[in-house]
Amino acid sequence: MIEFLYTNAWGAFIALLMFQIPFLLVFFHVVNKKAFVDSEPSKTDPEKYSYSRYGWIAFVVVAFIVVNAASIKYMPTIVEANASTSQDVKNVSVTARSWFFEFSEMEYKVGQTVRFQAKSVDTVHSFALFHPDGSQLFTLMLVPGAGTESAVVHTFTEPGEYTVRCLEYCGVAHHAMKNTLTVL
Amino acid sequence: MSAAINIIEKVPFFGGMFKVEDNELNPVNAWPSLMAMTAFVWFAIAAVLGVSMPTIQFLDLGPNWYYKNITLHGAAMAFPFAFQLMVAMSLHRAGACLGKRADDLFVSLFYIFMNVGALLLTLAVLSGFHVTYTVMFPLPVVGVGNGQWSMATLVLGFSGIALVLTSMIFIYPIKILKMSFFEKTDDTLQVAERTLKDPGMVGMIMGVLILLVTGTPLMIVAGSLLLHLYGIFPAAWIGWAADPVVFEFVFYIFAHNLMEAMAIMIIGAVYSTLPLCLADGARKLYSDKIAMIALWILLVTSLTSFFHHFYTMYPALPSTFAYHGNIMSYATAVGAALTIFTILATIWKHGIIATPALFLILGGFVMYILDGVSAIVISNVAWNFKLHGTMWAGGHAMVVLIAISALWMGMLYYHYPLMTNRTIDDSLARSSIKYLFISYLGLFYSFMAAGAAGMPRRNGDWEGDWFIYGGFIFFFGMMMLYAFVLYFLSLTRSKAIDY
Ligand code: HEM
Ligand SMILES: [Cu+2]
Repeated sequence: MIEFLYTNAWGAFIALLMFQIPFLLVFFHVVNKKAFVDSEPSKTDPEKYSYSRYGWIAFVVVAFIVVNAASIKYMPTIVEANASTSQDVKNVSVTARSWFFEFSEMEYKVGQTVRFQAKSVDTVHSFALFHPDGSQLFTLMLVPGAGTESAVVHTFTEPGEYTVRCLEYCGVAHHAMKNTLTVL
Repeated sequence: MSAAINIIEKVPFFGGMFKVEDNELNPVNAWPSLMAMTAFVWFAIAAVLGVSMPTIQFLDLGPNWYYKNITLHGAAMAFPFAFQLMVAMSLHRAGACLGKRADDLFVSLFYIFMNVGALLLTLAVLSGFHVTYTVMFPLPVVGVGNGQWSMATLVLGFSGIALVLTSMIFIYPIKILKMSFFEKTDDTLQVAERTLKDPGMVGMIMGVLILLVTGTPLMIVAGSLLLHLYGIFPAAWIGWAADPVVFEFVFYIFAHNLMEAMAIMIIGAVYSTLPLCLADGARKLYSDKIAMIALWILLVTSLTSFFHHFYTMYPALPSTFAYHGNIMSYATAVGAALTIFTILATIWKHGIIATPALFLILGGFVMYILDGVSAIVISNVAWNFKLHGTMWAGGHAMVVLIAISALWMGMLYYHYPLMTNRTIDDSLARSSIKYLFISYLGLFYSFMAAGAAGMPRRNGDWEGDWFIYGGFIFFFGMMMLYAFVLYFLSLTRSKAIDY
């Protein structure tokens, strides 16, 4: 479950709803009650406001800490940093230019862990990899002259044709900046 | 008679939104009315461009039209619509609350720079300068190099952008600071007296300071490039400014904080308007102190949360900055959480009068918070790598502007009787708000779901199930257009107040 939340973009969508729905329910309840049902001043004990104030802020802060702490393991920055000590990571270089990609290698095996190192040589591009089912696995933003290449470590777990796209708008043929990587 | 009223009267159709009386309150009413009217003219054009984008894909009219229209739509919505509407309302509010004139040279210069600048940029885009409203530097220059557009078009486009930025970063902030601290008070104009301690005024001053402080570096970089394009600065002087990393950073430090400045300003305005709509006439917030703390948290945390635009450059952006941006983005949301508390506690304690103005303000606030959740989700480093560059990101940029604009449109309802001596058409206003809210939710979740499904933003050639999301965007876009037509009618069918 936690893994799905952070490694699939629909997990982000679920997180979105988990934050939004309670807010919507409370907000509409309060507004509806105090605008239409009973707009008289409430006789709520002043103590109660201060309890709910501290309770609410504590809840928000704890929720934020939990959501982010649970995500640390899945941060590509952390995955990449950990992989730098491991031997069996294959280095692949990617060069983006208007409007195509060059790869040092385009065929991979299931189970293989790859470090993609990508750069752009003209304008801002990105290197985004899509699962055969259409979902986005990651994207790297490539700013020319950034001094160092952008990098991400990815382990292929399923065979298929993986689409590569540029996601940073780069001119008239931006949409055509596509390629395919094969995983056997 | 004020020049601004003169212009409004001559504008067909849209002029009818503001039948401003010629009276002694002109100095705080005339120019703000003209600006708000002009903002809606830009909106009308940009909204048609908005629904044109899915249409272009369905009819397969080609990516070139898509890129032209997305550039025009984004630029027109963000600057001459949303920003100009905010300036209109804040000048009116600052004028009427502090008793200062909002009709001097700064005001007319803002109006000219913003609208002429936007027109020049429009001309450049029409002649092929398709760079999106974020400019994507160094794309404008690279595009000349590989023949996508001409040098003359680049110069025209950059000149337009420079005028727009000057109006936002210098002219408007300086005018608000002058009104707040220097100009003489004129009692006849001070119809809704407020001090600088009022959260609404504090939010306004914080907002303009953010624009001035975070915008000046961008003005220096963009100004140097422009002077080079005009042939005044030799190439040797501007190499540092033409570095894409330099440009991207000054750009996003400004662009991110621009959104925050607009948010802080409108939250401040909500803090000062909500107390006037309470059922028991209490005229005060649950707590001014918590309101103020929320504004300060928003201000301080937003300044460095812009790093979330760059996580995916890793390791070109050292990961420590990514983690910092992640934490600061969530800290911003703590400011928002305090705001939610203050607003709900105020409503709970005193009850509210359900006027269209207040309902649009509360609806806009809900929109703003819903969008804020999408913002913090994508500000998490792990989620960002999945969502950056998708419709989620584009949708967030769009709906935060819609939310802020809806809030100012609520403010406009609230101030309309004072600005024009007329009352809005109540039932048209209510249905406008209803459709605006539903269409907002529809657009919002269509963009978010499209992003989660991996649909790229700014892609001129849709594939497969992206069309499904595009269909929803078209449908709810038409509904939003309808909501704006009702809004327009609620003002043109306003009735004169007679005493
Ligand atoms: C009237 C209904 C509207 C429709 C149908 C609509 C539709 C769209 C579409 C299709 C995109 C392009 C998404 C992409 O391919 O990346 C877009 C982008 C955008 N929209 Fe709208 N929109 C509407 C209203 C608005 C409003 C009211 C605002 C602001 C107040 C706005 C601001 C933006 C911005 C800033 C962008 C980003 C442009 C970019 O990424 O370069 N839109 N909109
Ligand atoms: Cu590209």
